[in-house]
Amino acid sequence: MTDNWVRRLNPKTKLLMIPVFGIATIVSPGMLLGLFLLLVVIVMAWQANIIKKFLQTMISFGIPIAVMLFIIQGLYSPQNHTYVANLGFAKLGLEGLMYGGKLLVTLLVFMGSFYLFNKTIYSGELAAALIKSSLSDKGGYLILASLNVVPQMKRQLQVIKEAQEARGVQTGGSLLTRIKVFIPLMGPVILSSLIDTQERGMALELRGFDLKNVSKTSYIQVVDTKLDKLFRIGMLLFLIIVTAFSIYLKVRR
Amino acid sequence: MKVSSKDVISVNNFSFSYPQTKKPAISSMNFTVKEGEFFCIVGANGAGKSTLCDSLVGLIPQYFLGTTKGQVLVNGQETTKQTVAELSLEIGLVFQNPFNQLSYTTSTVAEELAYGLGNHGIPRSEMLDRVAAVAKKMRIESLLDRDPLTLSGGQIQRVAFGSTYILNPSILVLDECTTQLDPIGSEEIFTIIKQLNDEGVTVVMTDTETERLSMYADRILLLDNGLQMGVDKPQAIFAREDLEKLNISTPLNYQLTQELTKIGILDSPEFNQDIILEKIKEVENGYR
Repeated sequence: MTDNWVRRLNPKTKLLMIPVFGIATIVSPGMLLGLFLLLVVIVMAWQANIIKKFLQTMISFGIPIAVMLFIIQGLYSPQNHTYVANLGFAKLGLEGLMYGGKLLVTLLVFMGSFYLFNKTIYSGELAAALIKSSLSDKGGYLILASLNVVPQMKRQLQVIKEAQEARGVQTGGSLLTRIKVFIPLMGPVILSSLIDTQERGMALELRGFDLKNVSKTSYIQVVDTKLDKLFRIGMLLFLIIVTAFSIYLKVRR
Repeated sequence: MKVSSKDVISVNNFSFSYPQTKKPAISSMNFTVKEGEFFCIVGANGAGKSTLCDSLVGLIPQYFLGTTKGQVLVNGQETTKQTVAELSLEIGLVFQNPFNQLSYTTSTVAEELAYGLGNHGIPRSEMLDRVAAVAKKMRIESLLDRDPLTLSGGQIQRVAFGSTYILNPSILVLDECTTQLDPIGSEEIFTIIKQLNDEGVTVVMTDTETERLSMYADRILLLDNGLQMGVDKPQAIFAREDLEKLNISTPLNYQLTQELTKIGILDSPEFNQDIILEKIKEVENGYR
């Protein structure tokens, strides 16, 4: 992970960005603010040197979702009354398209800010930041452990897949073949993950995870700069202003 | 360090049944472990080894629901009187699967080792010293900046072991912790365990490698189907005629020393390799 200002931001700042940007996009009328926030996230991803993978992920997720949302909302939204195209079997409504666009932008803002958060923090940083600020480290643990267990499950899946291949089961080939193989593979993966979860819980207990009345410490030193605090206050103020402005607009209508 | 006369673990008429099962997983266990002892638990699959290990560290009955009878005392205190986390400062457990011992919230081995210390509120300056000391002991100094999930089986087991030992427990319970390792990885772990035991740490170990257990164990507890079949010195345990019936293989080194005893090289079966070699050399010199 290269060193840059995005990477150096306190994990709490980047974590707060996810709900603030997401909620602001939801409550704001139209999708202009959402598009602006998406642009901010893209610029930050560029500054953090993760722009290539960031765009790959966003596009591979965004295109199928966009097609689905535009078809469903554009053709079948009950709010449609301005039609932009007649496809014969159905008419494409502007209101539905706009609503679909808003949903898509909201999803991309949530996903983009989460991707940025995930790719620009070291694993232990969030827990360390939460411990330092006397907030619950359990929430941080939940997020981090969930993120880190996924690669472990992927490894497990690979082991089971290789074991199946060694017994002559064809796991490659066409999409249909792969789907057919993938479904029975999931059984052992999920089952072994559940069993592992129990043992991991025990291991955490044995390492004092649930100790009460102890002021926890951390190996990692996380810096919370004035800029971070300013960013967080700024984001909260921004959310309050956007929400208030949206309520004002609704009431005025 | 020699084994002292002080009992650090006392298991008194202890039984445990998992919920919705009629048969106890372990029944009427009665034994003690002395300070500094290398105590091994031997039994076939399903004999109750892991249940017993979980009972020693307080996971049973605090983590697993079920029916218990009797008591387990660690350093004179009943395991139910302290939380598992509090007990972990006196008695640590190392699992069979090292991956399940990781916290999954750290990105380097050093952070992983320090994780338990952080939960116990140990100051960072002390943490750094203890991480360095344990890394040296576990022979993982060169791995401190590596991501734990990229390590080999033997390396990750040493990290898992270190993350337990770093809390400075005076007793270590090792539940088949070398089963998933290759012979070299397994040997590395046994060497470290033996070194810690020599330094005074009490070791309670279960393993399937009876050859190695017989070499290191001061005493062995034999389990079958949740029942305690005996507690004795390795020589006495492996001399039992019912071992095959209990699905336990007689260690090859025992068979060898038995033969050496029969032909008069040894007075009685012996597991200490140095003594065996010395005796063979004596005979060799006698021929010359």
